[in-house]
Amino acid sequence: MMGLFQDLLTTFNFIVQGLWVTISVTAVALTVGFTIGVVMAIARVYGHPALQTAVSAYSVVIRAVPVIVIIFILFFVISRYVNLSPFWAGALALGFASGAYQTEIFRGAIQAVQSGQMIAARAIGMSRLQAIQSIVLPQALRLALPAWGNEATLVLKDSTLVFAVGVPEILRRAQQVSARTFEPFLAFGVALLLYLALTLITTQALQWIERRYRLQV
Amino acid sequence: MTSPILRIEDVHKSYGSLHVLKGVSLTVQPREVVVLVGPSGSGKSTLLRCINLLNPPTKGRIWLEDQEITAPGVNQDRVRQRIGMVFQEFNLFTHLTALGNVMIGLIKVRKMRKNEARDLAMFELERVGLADRAHYYPAQLSGGQKQRVAIARALGMDPHVMLFDEPTSALDPELTGEVLAVMQKLAGEGMTMIVVSHEMGFARQVANRVVFMEGGVVVEEGTPQHMFEQPTHERTRAFLRNIMQ
Repeated sequence: MMGLFQDLLTTFNFIVQGLWVTISVTAVALTVGFTIGVVMAIARVYGHPALQTAVSAYSVVIRAVPVIVIIFILFFVISRYVNLSPFWAGALALGFASGAYQTEIFRGAIQAVQSGQMIAARAIGMSRLQAIQSIVLPQALRLALPAWGNEATLVLKDSTLVFAVGVPEILRRAQQVSARTFEPFLAFGVALLLYLALTLITTQALQWIERRYRLQV
Repeated sequence: MTSPILRIEDVHKSYGSLHVLKGVSLTVQPREVVVLVGPSGSGKSTLLRCINLLNPPTKGRIWLEDQEITAPGVNQDRVRQRIGMVFQEFNLFTHLTALGNVMIGLIKVRKMRKNEARDLAMFELERVGLADRAHYYPAQLSGGQKQRVAIARALGMDPHVMLFDEPTSALDPELTGEVLAVMQKLAGEGMTMIVVSHEMGFARQVANRVVFMEGGVVVEEGTPQHMFEQPTHERTRAFLRNIMQ
């Protein structure tokens, strides 16, 4: 009994060091994806028709390709020209992929803001850009929160894919322990619990934000 | 005779093949209250949106004070700042409180500091009798209160002319009075106003001039007394008779 507990503790201590890596990969990917998503959604709704087409193309192509392929392209191809560590190749690839999905999320949210809001903003003398910034986006971001929260948990789970280029995140470490100790149950059990905890905390936090900033209509 | 504050000359507006305004001319003097009436589809709202360049005219010219605002190269945002507009559907910014609705233009457009903006916004809310609702969100306000906040928001920009696009049409009958009272007070303070409305009582009491539009043109205009008691045109008479019933 004591032995099992010891094993569990060692296993846990080793794997939990990957927790921070998983969180970092997810945070970078979500931030990159958010930036791409917001900018592209604005371009898609308000931009020049040529720009709209370009954005649609990006979104269609990226969503058609498995994320792992994008990771490999960045890690094996792009990193020959630009100095990219496995961490950054993986996190950026996840960010580009998520950016395509977030573009669709924010596009829908921007289009869901009533057209009268833009008109009223222009009527008090705001420029188009000011109206987008101060009136449309703050409302669109609130409308987007439920869908965005869902995307956040998907990215969190997709962050395991960077394992393939050797980033020592939770799953990678679990696999290492399992190979060394021949106790896959313990190793992957710990990984499972860590992911479960991360996902639960994330969804709870997002739900709190959602309640806090809900638009009253 | 002072110079007109607004001069509209042969304004046309088309949407594709739909010819909504077919040559409207109208001159408004400072402090004047003009009420636009006419059947739906006659082009009243379109005319208002042409005046503040939300939908610029396809042909014709408009002067605001001594600037031709339809001239190429005019900064339209600047022009809109000088022309307040109140909408039928209020269009309050749903993510901001009543105070925030009035403040945002002061901060973003008039570039005021936050403290200054808050003081002026409170003053404008007081003007429409809603200082006690400053921290309510639009969803927590009645229709009449929303419209009064919308008026305060427009007033905050210190407009030279105010346009009202059917300001009471979306309100329950018992709520129109508070909005009309605010508008009447504004008129009393000397605000130049162009009002699209079916409130004939308001037109009679407050308007200096009533303009009857139909089919994208001005059919007849005159003092309320003339328009309500002895209009020259049969169409004016028919419309007003209809609406009074």
